[in-house]
Amino acid sequence: MIRAAIPVCILLVLSCWCAGCAGTAPASPPVTTPADDFSSWRLTVNGSTVTEYTLEQIQKLPATAGNGFAVSTVGIKYGPYICTGVLLTDLLAPSGGISEGEQAWISAPDGYLWVFDHDQVQGNGFITFNESLKEIPSPPLRILLMYEQDGKPLSYNDGGPIRVAIISDEKGVVTEGSAWVKWVDKIEIKKA
Amino acid sequence: MPPIKFLVAAVVIIGMLCWGTGCTTGGTGHEQTVLKVLPAGSLLQPFEEVEKAFEAEHPDVDVQVEGHGSIQVIRQVTDLHRPVDVVAVADASLIPDLMFRTDPATGTNFTDSYTPFARNAMVIAYTNKSRYANEITSENWGAVLSRPDVRVGISNPMLDAAGYRSIMVTLLADRYYANSTLFTDLIGRHFTPPLVAEDVDGVATVRLPEVLHPSDEKLVIRDGSIFVLSHLEAGGIDYAFEYRSVAEGHDLRWIDLPPAIDLSSQNPAEGYGKVKVVLGFQRFSAIGQDRIGQPIVYAVTIPNTAPNRDLASEFADLVVKESESGGKGWPATLGG
Repeated sequence: MIRAAIPVCILLVLSCWCAGCAGTAPASPPVTTPADDFSSWRLTVNGSTVTEYTLEQIQKLPATAGNGFAVSTVGIKYGPYICTGVLLTDLLAPSGGISEGEQAWISAPDGYLWVFDHDQVQGNGFITFNESLKEIPSPPLRILLMYEQDGKPLSYNDGGPIRVAIISDEKGVVTEGSAWVKWVDKIEIKKA
Repeated sequence: MPPIKFLVAAVVIIGMLCWGTGCTTGGTGHEQTVLKVLPAGSLLQPFEEVEKAFEAEHPDVDVQVEGHGSIQVIRQVTDLHRPVDVVAVADASLIPDLMFRTDPATGTNFTDSYTPFARNAMVIAYTNKSRYANEITSENWGAVLSRPDVRVGISNPMLDAAGYRSIMVTLLADRYYANSTLFTDLIGRHFTPPLVAEDVDGVATVRLPEVLHPSDEKLVIRDGSIFVLSHLEAGGIDYAFEYRSVAEGHDLRWIDLPPAIDLSSQNPAEGYGKVKVVLGFQRFSAIGQDRIGQPIVYAVTIPNTAPNRDLASEFADLVVKESESGGKGWPATLGG
């Protein structure tokens, strides 16, 4: 009987394959991305001094975790996530920090740039929503350079090795996604 | 294990393996082709109709519509290299500017052609709850919006074409109406330091700061139109600068503006090019900071890397056809 079952199993596998269930190209090709090898990635922090970090060095800095939840300009929600990484203020400190009247310009090699003023770097001045996208008063927020999302290393497709996340100690606080820069590789402090 | 039980177990396990490897069929009994369609946010509502109509004609196709700002729509193809079948934007000029160039991965252009299919107009959207809703007209809208107790909303010009077009409307109004100071009254003086419109070679030019935080509650800026409209519907603001099709799609009231102001006219004599907004920073390396006034024209294109070109072409044709038929939430047809 077992011998009789083997051809049945083979037939089942073959029928699945013929029906497009194995080995065929997916209906939509997957996004082609580099493998998640971040060994050559560097983050340049250009303040009063210039500091360059590897991912390993970033991960050795004091880590912070919080709740992150973003929404796109057309209302697509991303999250909620448990975001782990380094606070922007901590990362800026060795390069001279940020003063009143200065801005943090955070950019990525895909050509995206976002600018945070001094107030925002301190966690103020963001628009916040609840999970139903109704505006709510902003709880205390912080800007995080996230390298871990929900306990796993941030993948390239999710903006890894490092992306900006606006985090809160409260759950369900949604922030505008334009500030969540993916693939961050440069932070510059500039006069406003 | 008894032989018959072994056979049943084998069938169940293989079935589960097949299911787990992506054999779901969405209840149709066979695998569907995914058609990825990326429209500008102001097209999301009408594209829902096109999606339904297309899927009804093509049961084997799953149309996946994903909205973004117009520049972000294009960037999904040019900078993020995603496999996209159809791109539709609220600013036709972005396609030649950003996509008529070589894709390093293929050696060919990102696209070589596009089809303009609709136009739109900026209007003043409001609700029955808006202050002075029963007073505002196409003639006195500027005076009503300028009243100290009236709050006005625009979307972020850094992120949304409707945002910088809102600023252009105020600049054009100042050219059109005698003694008008609408840009200053509605926008400029609500920043610290105030924003000013400079005359640069005959072009009224506004240079925005890097971070757009109004200094008082008169002016509200949100990342996208949906958040401005949500504020409007909740009574947090009284009036919003918006596309006419979006105001209509949200069942709002609106005030039409003269063609010399509303960016709807294809007539160059309207002089839209006499106003310019310079964004606070170059958000995308692929496109500069200058936005010069021009008519609002929507366009659709099929990237040369589209995985399903024939289906994409059919979808684009359907967009043009449905646009010509019009309907709630559709921008006006180009010929209309």
